[in-house]
Amino acid sequence: MAPVSLHSVRKAYGEVQILHGIDVDIADGEFIVLVGPSGCGKSTLLRMIAGLETITKGDIRIGDRVVNDLEPKDRDIAMVFQNYALYPHMTVATNMGFSLEHRGASKTEIAERVKWAADILDLSHLLDRFPRQLSGGQRQRVAMGRAIVRNPQVFLFDEPLSNLDAKLRVLMRGEIKSLHHRLGVTTVYVTHDQIEAMTMADRIVVMNAGRVEQIGAPLELYDRPSNLFVAGFIGSPAMNILGGTIDGGQFKAAGVTLPLPAGVTATGAASYGIRPEHFQLSPDGLPATVSLVEPMGSETQVTMTLGEHVITGVFRERVSARPGETIHILPDLAAVHLFDAATGQRIN
Amino acid sequence: MRTDLSPRLRVALYGLMCVLLIPFVFPTWWMITSSVKPISDIFAFPPDLWPRRFDFSTYQRVFELQPFARQYWNSAYIAAIVTAGTMVVSSMAGYAFARIKFPFSNAIFMVVLLGLLIPSEVTIVPLFQIFLGWGMINTHWPLILVPIFGAPSVFATFVMRQFFIALPVELEEAARVDGLGRFKIFWTIALPLAKPALGAVAIFTFLHSWNLYLEPIVFLSSTQMFTLPQALTQFTDAYGGAMWNIQLAAATMTAIPVLLVFIVAQKQFVEGLAHTGLKG
Repeated sequence: MAPVSLHSVRKAYGEVQILHGIDVDIADGEFIVLVGPSGCGKSTLLRMIAGLETITKGDIRIGDRVVNDLEPKDRDIAMVFQNYALYPHMTVATNMGFSLEHRGASKTEIAERVKWAADILDLSHLLDRFPRQLSGGQRQRVAMGRAIVRNPQVFLFDEPLSNLDAKLRVLMRGEIKSLHHRLGVTTVYVTHDQIEAMTMADRIVVMNAGRVEQIGAPLELYDRPSNLFVAGFIGSPAMNILGGTIDGGQFKAAGVTLPLPAGVTATGAASYGIRPEHFQLSPDGLPATVSLVEPMGSETQVTMTLGEHVITGVFRERVSARPGETIHILPDLAAVHLFDAATGQRIN
Repeated sequence: MRTDLSPRLRVALYGLMCVLLIPFVFPTWWMITSSVKPISDIFAFPPDLWPRRFDFSTYQRVFELQPFARQYWNSAYIAAIVTAGTMVVSSMAGYAFARIKFPFSNAIFMVVLLGLLIPSEVTIVPLFQIFLGWGMINTHWPLILVPIFGAPSVFATFVMRQFFIALPVELEEAARVDGLGRFKIFWTIALPLAKPALGAVAIFTFLHSWNLYLEPIVFLSSTQMFTLPQALTQFTDAYGGAMWNIQLAAATMTAIPVLLVFIVAQKQFVEGLAHTGLKG
């Protein structure tokens, strides 16, 4: 185990800047998730930590060593790739023991470590098979086995679940998390799926266009997004964001005036954010015209028009309204997020 | 391959295939049967599909008229060395062009490929002068060196490059993380996975070397050094007329390794070319 520290890390391909100075400190044993839309630079950053991409500027430290110029093999990391990257011509056992073999481990040690990893990942009965004879989930576990067998200081995961179906993804999410609890190895995990990020991470690094937008615990990001991007990216269904102005203790948006939390002193153009579950049905609420009702069983998702804005609400109650009818809703003022219209930064 | 063809259509298709087979099979059949016919029966009209009389002494005469065993050995060992050498050169060059970033790699590869456009007839005289200067005329060196570093190897390099380009780069990255250097990645990961392409390269290189005709007649002058295609032209009588049945007996023996190689390895050959995106 070792902490990982990224200091002003930049990446450019010629004139094109991919990463614009990333600063992240990852604690020893922490499970950190890099999340962001496609092309935001999260995989590039992971590959730079692995040593598969060069660093244009800045420093990457693993433990107390600056690893900028070290080969991947000298960084004491293990990586799980999106397509697993299992060697097709080797059995599961050979795949798992391959790195140890090339580091001069004895056959006995290799066999012991492979057995240990196979027992943990329930792979013991598959050791003599070739990757082509395995299911997607089994291949995923072999890829993890190959990573843990060497007992590295850092695990790197590059969207490892994106090739699995939804059910298996949920299962493997749990397995990876429990593996982290068991081994306690520092883990950097890349995904574009914010549900994966929320459910697995100790802390999440939200990235956008080569920059870090916010770093924090999952619920911290959910409850207090520091800017409009994070507010819109984290959470499903996404936060409702209405453009308008703060004026006289109220928020005036197109066709509707919304109440503000107490203590808001800012004025002028702003964005008003509220998550779908932070509306409640109330006869005293604001009128909204229903356009779609989606009963989920445990909750009901309603798409509706508030003023001139299309918003989404999620209610624990059963909603019997039909499209075209009006319901009345009240925002939970304690859960209202206000963002500066010009900078997108949080102002409450 | 299972298909849902109706029995009638299936019979029609097989019939069509049998008809299409005739132009391919007939010359081989004619060669084999004529090699055991007396010379007067070879040109009988209509031709006999099955010999009226069998004369197997033609096969004995092949070895009496020429040092055929020696020539057979010459062809065999030259083809083996050329095949092995081409596999080494083309796999390493193909890997380098596919995976290693170096200045002007694409431009260099294009220049290398241009070598395929130059017919061997154009380069044979300069090559003769080069090998003459090196004292290698009437040796087998030109027949070994020219294919390994010439056009056949360029084609093989192209095939190998296409294969290596298609290999997932993550396999090599995983190997780098696992602690392998460039050569070990090539040797332990890329090369074993390239078996189908290597098989195809081996087959067509062997066939090319085995059938090589122009270079032997330019570089070789003594019958002891001849290879089989060149030796086949030597079965003539005192007036230069071809001794057809003996020549066809020699041709039959010459064709046997080629047929065996292709029968045994045709699946590998087709798969190898399919992996590279080329069609056979």
